[in-house]
Amino acid sequence: MSIDKEREPDMRLRNTLFVLALALCAMTAGAISAQSDIVIDFYFPSATANDAEGIFQRYADQFQEENPGITINPVFSGSYTDTRNTILTELQGGGAGPDVAVMLSIDLYSFAEEGYIVPAQTFIDAMDDGQAYVDDFFPALMANGMDEMGNVWSIPFQRSTPILYYNADLLAEAGYDSPPTNNAELVEIAQALTTDDRDGLLVPVAGGFPIWMYQSFAIAYGRNIVGDDPTEVYFNTPEAVEAVEFVRSLGTDLGVGPAGGAAWGDTPVAFLAEQAAMIYHTTGNLTRILSGADFEVGVWYLPSGPAGEDGAGYGAPTGGGNLYIFDDGSKSDAELDAIWKWVMFLSSPEIQSDWGATTGYIASNAAAWETEPLASLALEHPQYGVARDQLQHAGKEFSSYATITIQGIINGTLESILTGEAEDAQAAMDAAQAQIDGILADYR
Amino acid sequence: MARDALHRPPRKSLLSLLQPYILVAPTLILVLMFNVAPAFRTINDSLHKPARGLGAAGKPPEFVALGNFQDLFDDEHYMGKRFLRTLRNTIVFALATVGIGVPLGLLTALLLNRPQPLLGVWRFAVFYPSLLPLIGAASIWSFIFSDSIGLANAILKTFGHPGLNWLGDRNLVLLSVIIINIWKQAGYFMIFFLAGLQNIPRDIYESASLDGAGPAQQFAYLTLPLLRRTLLFVAVISFTFAFQTVEQLQALGEGGPADSANLLLYLIFQNISERRNWGYVNAMTIVLIGVVLSFTLSNFLLFERDETDR
Amino acid sequence: MSHFYVIRRRGADALKMAIAIFFLLPLFFTALVSLRPETEPVTNGNIFFGSEITLENYRRAFIIAPWGLHYLNSIIFVGGTLLVQLFTVTFAAYAFARMRFFGRNFLLMAILLQLMIPSGVLLVQNFRTINILGLFDTRIALMIPYWGSAFGVLLLRQTFREIPIELEEAARIDGANLLQVVRHVYVMNAIPAYLAFALVSVSSHWNEFLWPFIITRSEEIRPLTVGLNKLIKTTDQGAFYGQLMAGTLIVIAPLVILFIVFQRQFVESFARSGIR
Repeated sequence: MSIDKEREPDMRLRNTLFVLALALCAMTAGAISAQSDIVIDFYFPSATANDAEGIFQRYADQFQEENPGITINPVFSGSYTDTRNTILTELQGGGAGPDVAVMLSIDLYSFAEEGYIVPAQTFIDAMDDGQAYVDDFFPALMANGMDEMGNVWSIPFQRSTPILYYNADLLAEAGYDSPPTNNAELVEIAQALTTDDRDGLLVPVAGGFPIWMYQSFAIAYGRNIVGDDPTEVYFNTPEAVEAVEFVRSLGTDLGVGPAGGAAWGDTPVAFLAEQAAMIYHTTGNLTRILSGADFEVGVWYLPSGPAGEDGAGYGAPTGGGNLYIFDDGSKSDAELDAIWKWVMFLSSPEIQSDWGATTGYIASNAAAWETEPLASLALEHPQYGVARDQLQHAGKEFSSYATITIQGIINGTLESILTGEAEDAQAAMDAAQAQIDGILADYR
Repeated sequence: MARDALHRPPRKSLLSLLQPYILVAPTLILVLMFNVAPAFRTINDSLHKPARGLGAAGKPPEFVALGNFQDLFDDEHYMGKRFLRTLRNTIVFALATVGIGVPLGLLTALLLNRPQPLLGVWRFAVFYPSLLPLIGAASIWSFIFSDSIGLANAILKTFGHPGLNWLGDRNLVLLSVIIINIWKQAGYFMIFFLAGLQNIPRDIYESASLDGAGPAQQFAYLTLPLLRRTLLFVAVISFTFAFQTVEQLQALGEGGPADSANLLLYLIFQNISERRNWGYVNAMTIVLIGVVLSFTLSNFLLFERDETDR
Repeated sequence: MSHFYVIRRRGADALKMAIAIFFLLPLFFTALVSLRPETEPVTNGNIFFGSEITLENYRRAFIIAPWGLHYLNSIIFVGGTLLVQLFTVTFAAYAFARMRFFGRNFLLMAILLQLMIPSGVLLVQNFRTINILGLFDTRIALMIPYWGSAFGVLLLRQTFREIPIELEEAARIDGANLLQVVRHVYVMNAIPAYLAFALVSVSSHWNEFLWPFIITRSEEIRPLTVGLNKLIKTTDQGAFYGQLMAGTLIVIAPLVILFIVFQRQFVESFARSGIR
């Protein structure tokens, strides 16, 4: 947070002398407080190609108009991983860091442990109708933003879940009028639609982060790999093992996709090019796929596993980014007040409706779905509502203490099982669980 | 040492004594500030383990001597497992770049040394990849190597081959990353060899031809020995580049699956953001510097000896 | 005899062709994909052209980043880096090539450590230094770690040592002072080496990504590679290859034109430099 006396566009090029001179001028003028603006540095990842910068600048302009005296400075900070690493490098190196940032909802413990962020709960408690504000969000989207004590740390902003996209024209040609609702149907339809030039089903577990897609299967098989407490990881349960063996079989015995799984970035491209009949992918892609496809796009819940009939085995993790508030205790009440206003603004039904409609991310509160432009869009394309409705079956995304390290272990283990390097899935997962327990012992 | 004539100041005033140090100072200070001092801090940090667990943020690190290195070389340890695999990859990657990329650079230089039609176009064809930002180059290749929509498989399929999972198959992915690196750098090496070749006088070859030496003999007994210094130089820069260029992995599956194509510097980046791994990150940095240092140093000594021999 | 010669020539030509195809194919398809509709990568229908030729990808790539600004920033970054380097490198190279002083070899080795310690590894530490200097998010911060160049010192020291000492002695007799000697005797006789060094320096910093990305936040000073990154990091939505290829071509086009125009001078300057 910095207080600018005058808002020159190239103020940031200032060198020390320039600042000194400026401060002197301002002091002699004796009118610092009258002209001062609170500047909020807002870091965002560009997880979408829809000109995120332009959109955030538009939001910032609107906010500044409504809140004179506060200036928003949106900063592009790369991918989610880049954003996390950039901010940590900056803070570890003694830099100021952002005031507000969009980071993965699962980054909570990494930043809370270091004391870089403050819980949103403090601000919520100070509100007249704080509980109502929290209750407006879909409960599944709050799971990763809260610690085990129920304190809210971060506010949902661009949230998603994986869903099933299917090429309805290809399914109809093969005689299927409706999408698969369980794994048996999924395999049957995928095999029917697989040809030399086309994959029946792509599950993007290659490309670095298999854990998210894999979690859908683990939940569908009956048990999430993460518990409510950040020290609970269940990676070697029978359900966890069956789930990964099923994913592996898609590329081997069942032959409906590439061995080892598809790459994350190529999967939607292959779907749009009709090189894949069905894909698992994020709802964050909905707008791109609906606008890019030359065929009828169907969207449905991820098929259920063997755990239950009648939809009881549905399941998907939530994903995406939350709004985090940074403060090491040095920020003034006026600054914190401005920061909270910006967070409230971004999570308001109005902005959530606009952001959800532009990108396909799930607007995070029910009111946003009654607000234009999302209300009429959801009416026109019922696909937007599917992801929202799937939230009732959604589970928590993987997050624990030492999240980055433990995710690294899980990702590596999953990849070695999926590519056939570790043939015995159970043994590999037992070994991984032992390493994970060793790390988590520090926190118990 | 006859050539190495040294300038002797006419009189030993204080200024003339200090002169060389003043001239060297700017470079020296900058290098000390941005390379050497941080490296020494890294050595110190590599001997410590950061505090771990709840409330670790405020606590000082604990001195563990070589404990971090022990963990790194332990295949059962969560970081050791990744480190050992990545170290092996990095060495294969560096040797392949030197072993294939450098000869390819030399070969193209030999082909494109003499005047010929469209010379500029030919040279451009080989050189332009080194003008590309690495991350842009990697993105182009991630498209070429894409399993479902990529160019490489489209070409294979026209020949009736079902296609390869270039970036998803653990046995192929390191090869893919090596191919990309060679493509990116061979042209850069070529420029150095072209320069070296142009400095070899033509009449040497003419007299060799008159003596009945064929092209192969000319290459083996004239070109190679005369290019020895260039070869050493290019080998050193290609080897050190191989340890420093890792941004491409961002676009090529993060070094996976299961670290089968991960490189040391990238593994360091992947773990830099979690406090508990800082000791390992610093220890890995020391190993990296050690490998590069010993290779460069041995080559530099060869280079210098060669120099004084002349 | 001439028969063999013809076979050999043809063999060389075939080899040349094969190598050129390997190197050019990616560029060729980069251009093609940038002109195809986003939803039609190569395997859909015709391998060469999609259902239409479109400039849509270029239009979108131009929206996503202010390329003109990024260009200017990159030019200032590489130009400013090189300008300071030329001075620091010249002085150090002269001292190491032609002066005798205590600790000469030791100091040279200390500087050469830069070649062996990748600055990329030291991001957090260097960030801290920049922050202490109060330079975070400035153009100076981008350039300062590169102002000392071990590569440049090594190259020019080599070149300076090959310049006959008699030239310097003659200049001294004429009353030239140190700066005049360096300028008229050494710099003037090492122009090709300077050109070679400039080209290496410019091409490596032009491609620099991690350091500029970490050390800057303001769009007003960020270079081209950070702009290109915006096209690549569309993590949630997967790859937009058409747009990415268009952006990549926008980034390299000026360098490509420069190389084609100046390639002969480029190679010759290398040939006359100390690199060999």
